[in-house]
Amino acid sequence: MSSGIVNLNTNPCKMCMPMGAVSAFYGIARCMSILHGSQGCSTYIRRHMATHYNEPVDIASSSLTEEGTVFGGEKNLVKGLDNLISLYHPEVIGVSTTCLAETIGEDVPAVIRRYRESRPECGVKIISVASAGYSGTQYEGWFRALHALLLQTDMDETRHDGLNIITGPVSPADTRALKNCLGSLGLSFILLPDISENLDGGHNPAYDRLPSGGTSLAQISRMAGARATLELSAFLPEAYSPGRWLEEKHGVPLLRLNMPIGLRDTDALLKALEDLGGVISGEVRRERARCLDAMIDAHKYNALGRGAVFGEPDFVYGIARLCCENGLVPVVAATGGNCPALKARLEEEIRPVADNVLAEKTTVLNFADFDDIDAAVTGNGVNILIGNSDGRRLARKHNIPLIRCAFPIHDHVGGQRVRILGYSGASGLLNTLANALISGRDAVFRADAFERYCKNIPTNAVKPACAQSGQANRRMAEKTARHPCFSSSARHSAARLHLPVAPACNISCNYCVRVFDCPNESRPGVTTKVLSPEEALTRFINIKASLPNLAVVGIAGPGDSLANFPETSETLRLVREADPDIVFCLSTNGLLLPIYAAQLMNLGVSHVTVTINAVDPRIGARIYKHVNYMGVKYEGEAAAAILMSNQLAGLKMLTEAGVVCKVNTVLIKGVNDAHVEDVARAARSLGASIANIMQMIPVKGSVFEDMPLISNKEHLTLRKRCEAVIPQMYHCRQCRADAVGLLDEDMSFRLREIASSRTQIVESPADRPMSAPVRVAVASRSGVVVDQHFGYAEQFYIYESDGLFTRLVETRRAPGDTVGCGRCGGGGKKQAYPGGEENSFGKIARALEIVADCRAVVAMRIGDSPSRQLKRKGIAVFSTYENIDKAVREAAAQCV
Amino acid sequence: MYARILEERKNSIRYAEKNSAPIHCEAASISGAVSQRACVYCGARVVLNPITDAFHIVHGPIGCASYTWDIRGSLSSGPELYRNSFSTDLQEKDVVFGGVRKLEAAIDEVMRTYAPRLIFVYATCIVGVIGDDVEAVCREAERKYGARVIAVKAPGFSGNKSTGYRMACDALMRLLPPRDDHIRKNGVNILGDYNLAGETWIIKTYMREIGVPVISTFTGDASYERLLAAPSAGLNVVQCAGSMLYLAQRMEQEFGIPWVKASFFGIEDTSTAIRQVADLIGSEETRRKARVFTERESERAARLTAPYHSRLRGKKAAIFVGGGFKAISLVRQFREMGMETVMVGTQTGKADEYEVLENLVSPDTVILDDANPSELEKFLREKGADILVGGVKERPLAYKLGIAFCDHNHERKHALAGYVGVENFTREVNLSINSPVWRYARG
Repeated sequence: MSSGIVNLNTNPCKMCMPMGAVSAFYGIARCMSILHGSQGCSTYIRRHMATHYNEPVDIASSSLTEEGTVFGGEKNLVKGLDNLISLYHPEVIGVSTTCLAETIGEDVPAVIRRYRESRPECGVKIISVASAGYSGTQYEGWFRALHALLLQTDMDETRHDGLNIITGPVSPADTRALKNCLGSLGLSFILLPDISENLDGGHNPAYDRLPSGGTSLAQISRMAGARATLELSAFLPEAYSPGRWLEEKHGVPLLRLNMPIGLRDTDALLKALEDLGGVISGEVRRERARCLDAMIDAHKYNALGRGAVFGEPDFVYGIARLCCENGLVPVVAATGGNCPALKARLEEEIRPVADNVLAEKTTVLNFADFDDIDAAVTGNGVNILIGNSDGRRLARKHNIPLIRCAFPIHDHVGGQRVRILGYSGASGLLNTLANALISGRDAVFRADAFERYCKNIPTNAVKPACAQSGQANRRMAEKTARHPCFSSSARHSAARLHLPVAPACNISCNYCVRVFDCPNESRPGVTTKVLSPEEALTRFINIKASLPNLAVVGIAGPGDSLANFPETSETLRLVREADPDIVFCLSTNGLLLPIYAAQLMNLGVSHVTVTINAVDPRIGARIYKHVNYMGVKYEGEAAAAILMSNQLAGLKMLTEAGVVCKVNTVLIKGVNDAHVEDVARAARSLGASIANIMQMIPVKGSVFEDMPLISNKEHLTLRKRCEAVIPQMYHCRQCRADAVGLLDEDMSFRLREIASSRTQIVESPADRPMSAPVRVAVASRSGVVVDQHFGYAEQFYIYESDGLFTRLVETRRAPGDTVGCGRCGGGGKKQAYPGGEENSFGKIARALEIVADCRAVVAMRIGDSPSRQLKRKGIAVFSTYENIDKAVREAAAQCV
Repeated sequence: MYARILEERKNSIRYAEKNSAPIHCEAASISGAVSQRACVYCGARVVLNPITDAFHIVHGPIGCASYTWDIRGSLSSGPELYRNSFSTDLQEKDVVFGGVRKLEAAIDEVMRTYAPRLIFVYATCIVGVIGDDVEAVCREAERKYGARVIAVKAPGFSGNKSTGYRMACDALMRLLPPRDDHIRKNGVNILGDYNLAGETWIIKTYMREIGVPVISTFTGDASYERLLAAPSAGLNVVQCAGSMLYLAQRMEQEFGIPWVKASFFGIEDTSTAIRQVADLIGSEETRRKARVFTERESERAARLTAPYHSRLRGKKAAIFVGGGFKAISLVRQFREMGMETVMVGTQTGKADEYEVLENLVSPDTVILDDANPSELEKFLREKGADILVGGVKERPLAYKLGIAFCDHNHERKHALAGYVGVENFTREVNLSINSPVWRYARG
C-alpha cells in the first residue's frame, strides 16, 4: 500500500549496520563474528543472510540479558569469545556492537584489551566495530568493519608490487569475476574483503564450519606497503574510507572509482589498471566487444523501459548509469539510507537520457522507504523494477517485473550467484532487463492492438467475445447435455435435486403469496421444508446413494437463492466437496446477480435461470409490488427499473463468463403477454441460451388471484413466436424447490422419507451408540498422548469407553497445582522428579480423589503405593505411553 | 574439524533416558554458543502480527522492523495491513534526545490518515534504555482518539522468545472486553494457530464439518472485531501450547472459559483433537458427526499417503524446531510413516515436553535443547540422519552435510495441519529425501 505516512518508515529499503559489518567479516579468512547485544540481532541477521546466500551462516551473540544491560555486558562478551574460540578455532573474531551495546555505553575496545591481557596465550585477532543500528545502514556498517580491520591490524609497510582493491557490498559471484579479471591482467593484488568462497561454497565431501576462504590477516597487514589502493565505491563515507586511511597513515596513493557496473565504469577500472601496469588480455577485449554487441541487440527493447532502481548508493548509481547507457530511463532511483550526494550525481546523469525519449518525470529519492518508492513508481510510470526481493510486493501490486540483483533475495534461489559487475555482468543484466520487457509486451500486445484498433470496426468473430477457451467450451457443453432443464434429451436420463436452503425473498411479485414457495420456479401453492446447508449436504449424500443418475444439484428457493447467499454458497461448497463433478444450477429473480455473479462462478455454478417478466419498467411496475434493495424498499417503476437493470447486467456478466443461462418469464394475461417477445430479444442479445415461458397460475390470496389464466393455445403460440428469437424450453414441469429425480417423475415425497430415515441408519460403525461404557481417567498434559505420571499429573482426562468407542467427558485439574507450562520463560525448573516422594504425598491423595469414580486409570507411570491403593478400590491401573484414544480403548476393553 | 560440545551445554544434550529427570532447559542461551533462538520482540511479534487489521508499529531503530517485514506465511481473508512494516526508524539524535516525539507524531498521523481501531506499539531493546515512556504515549493516544493503542514492551534482552509470547498474550487480554451474558456454549476459540498457509482455515473447516461454530481465532486471520467476541466462547482450543497456553489460562481465570490442548499435526492427533472438542461441548449430533468425519478423513488421508510409505520406511529423521509440542507431534508423525527419529531438539521446549519426548523415542535418540550449529552438525553426522526438519537457518547446514530437509517453519507455503497437512508433509518429506540429487552429492 502507499500510506503516505511521513512520520513512520513504511516498509524499509535498508537494513542495519551490524548486517553490513558481519557481511564484510565474512570476506576475511578464518574469521567469526559475534554481535554484542540481544540474541535476536544475530538470529535475524543469520536468517536474512542464510536465505539469500543459501549457505550456513553462523554468527554468535553475547546474548545480553537484563542483568548485562544494567550492569554492563563484559562478562557476557568474554564468555562469548571463549565459547566461540572453543567451537570454531577462528584466527580472527569481529565483534560488532548493536544498538543496545552502544546505548548502554559498552567500551568494547577496553573489554577486548582486558581479554587479551588475561589470556596471553590466545592468538586470535579480535577486531571491534562500533555499529549501532541507528547510526547508519548495512552500507555504512560494511565500510566501518573494513576500516576497523585495518586500524586494528598490525600493518607491514614493506613496499611491494601489489595493489589494494577495496569493494563495497557485492555478490560472491561478482567478487569471483573481479578476481579473475584482475588475475588476467597479470597484476598482483589484495582484495578486501573477499566473500567469494565463504558465502558461495561448493558442495564438498567434508563441510568446514569455519569460513576458510577470504582475505587473510597477513594480506591485510601488507596492504600498508602496496603500490596503490583502488577503492571501488563512489559514495563510501569518507570518515571510514579504508583507502583514505591507508593513504594518510601509510602513504599508499588512493584512487577512487565507481563500482564497475556498465560499460563506462568497467572501462574506467580497466584503464586505471592498465595505467598501473596491467596488460589487458584479448579475452577481456573480446568480452567488451560482446558487451557492446549485447547493448546494441537490446537497446530498442530497453528503450521502452522506465525503471525504478533501489538499494545501496553504489548499486543504485551503477545500475542507473548502466540503464542510461542502454536507453532504459531510470525514472526512479532510491536509496534507503542517507546519501545526499547520490541525488546530485544521478540527476545530471539521468536528465539527458530522459529528455531523449521525452520521459517527463524522474525522481531520485534519498532516505526513502518503499512507501515513497511506491508513490514515485505510480507517478513516473515505471514498468520495471531493479533491486532486491523486497520489491516483490510492488511488482505484484503494479503488475510489473522485478529484476532481483541485489541483497537480499529471499524468494528466489541463487542470490549468491547474481552477476552485475564488469562487461559480462553488464551484458547479462541488459539481456535480463530486455527479456523481462519483451515478455511483458508479448503477453498483452494482441489484446492491446485489438482494443486500440479493432474495437469499433466489424470483426471476424464467430460469436460475441467470450473469455472461454475451446476446452472450457467443450466442458460446458458436456455439462449442459447432462442437465435435464437445458437439454430436453437429458430429461429422461438425468436426475436433478433441488436443495431448499433459501427461504427469504427480496422482491414481492403480485402473483405470489409468501406462505408458498416462489412461483417463478416452483409449482404454485407448495410449501417446502427449509434445510440448513449441513442438512442439505446430508440429503444430497443420501439421495445420491439411491439415485445413480443424479447429474444436477440446483437451488431454487423456496425464496430467492441470492437473497440467502450465505446459505446458498455454503450448500454449494459442501456439495462440491462431496462431489467434484456434479453440475450446479441455480435460479434467481436476478436482483442481486451483479453482486454475486463472480462468486457464483467461483463456486462452480454453470447454469443459471433468471426470471425476467418485463424489460420495460412501466410493465414491470404492474407485476412487482416492491423490491428490497440494499436496505431500501422501492415501489412502482423505480422498483421495476432497479430489478430489470440488475437482471440484465447480471445476465450479461454470467454469459460473458461462459455460464449457460435460461430466462424464465411468467406469462400474465393482459400485463406482459404482448411484451414477451421483447423480453426474449433482450435475453438473446445478452447471451441467454434458452427461454422458458410459463403460464401464471393464479394463487389465492395474491394480488393476481382473479387474473384470467392464459390458455394453452395462446401459450403455445407465444412460445412458437419467441422461438424465432431464442430456443424455447417446452418440457418445463414447474417443479418444486425440493424436487428430486427426473423431470417427469418427481420423487421428492418418496425420497424425502428415505433421506430422513437414512440419517438414522447410516451404516457406519462409528455411528453405533456405546453399550455399557466404563469411565477411564487418563493422566495427560497434552491431551494427545498419555504423558504424565499419576502422582504428578496436573490434570486428568476423564473418558467413557466401551472398548470400541471413546467419549471425552471432561478434564479435571489437580487443585492447588502450579500450571507451569504457560508461564513461558519464567517457569524455570519447577518440576522435581518422582522419587522425592514425601512432598508428593498430598498430590497423590488428591489424585486418588479425582479418579475415585472411575473404573480404570491410565498414566505414563505410577508408583507402587498409589497403584496398590487404586487396586484396593477396584480401579484397574494401566501404565502406557500411547495415543490417548487408543489407550482408553484398550483399558476399557479389559474392564468391560 | 571435529565438532565439539561446550562444557556448559552438556546438561542440555544426551541420549534419551526414560523415566529420568529431564535435560537442562528453559534457561537463557549461552553467550557465544551460536544459539538458533530469536528474542523477546520476536516472540511478541510472531503472536500478534497475524492480526490483519491492526497497525503494528515497531518503535526502535530500523533493523528489528526490517528483518521481520512480512516474513511469515500467515494468511488473511480480508485486510492486508499487517503485511506492512511500520517503524519509527530511530536515528542517533533520537537516541540522544528521546524517541517519544517521533512516536507521538507517528500515531497522530496514523490516526488522522487511517483512523484504525487498533495499534500495537512494540518497544525494542533501546527504547527503555533511552527512557521513552511508551506506555504513557499509548495511554494518551487512547484517550485522545478513543482507539486501542497497546504498548508491547518487548526489549530483546528481557528473556527469550517465550517471554515475548507471554507479553503478546497479556496485550491480547488487555484488548478483550469483559464477558457478558451472551455466551455461546457450543462455540470455540482457536488459540495458537497463525494461519500459516491457511491452517486456521483448515481447522475452522473441520469445526464447521462437525457443527461447532468458531468464534475467534488467535491470531491466524484475526481481526479486531472478531477478537472482541472471544469472551463469549464456550471452549478454548489451544493448538500451539508454547505460545498460547498462558492466554488460555488467563481467559479461564477471567472469563471462566475452559480450555483443551489440541494438536492438528498427524492423522491420529487431528482426529483426537476433533473428537475431544465434540465430546467436550458438542451435542449428540456433533459427536456423531465428529466420529463419522474423523473416521472418513483418517481413512482418506491414510489411503492417499500409503503409496509414499514404502519409499520412506526405515529412513532416519532429525528434528530441530521451535517448541516441544510440535516436536512431539513430529516424532509421532514420522512413526506413522515408518520412520525413526534419531535426533530431536527444540529452541524453547519445556521440561515436561522433553520428558514426553524422551519416553517417546528409542533410547539411542539424541535429545537436545537450544542447540547450535556445531551440535546439530555433530549429531546429524553421527546418527546418519536422512532428513532434518527445521527452520530456515538450519536448511543450508543440512544441505552442506548432504541431508534432505523439510521446512516446518513460519515461512512455509504448504499447510501441515489437519488431514491435508499429513498429505503435504508426507509429500514434502518424500520429495527431498528421495531426490535424485543425493545420488550425485553423496557419490
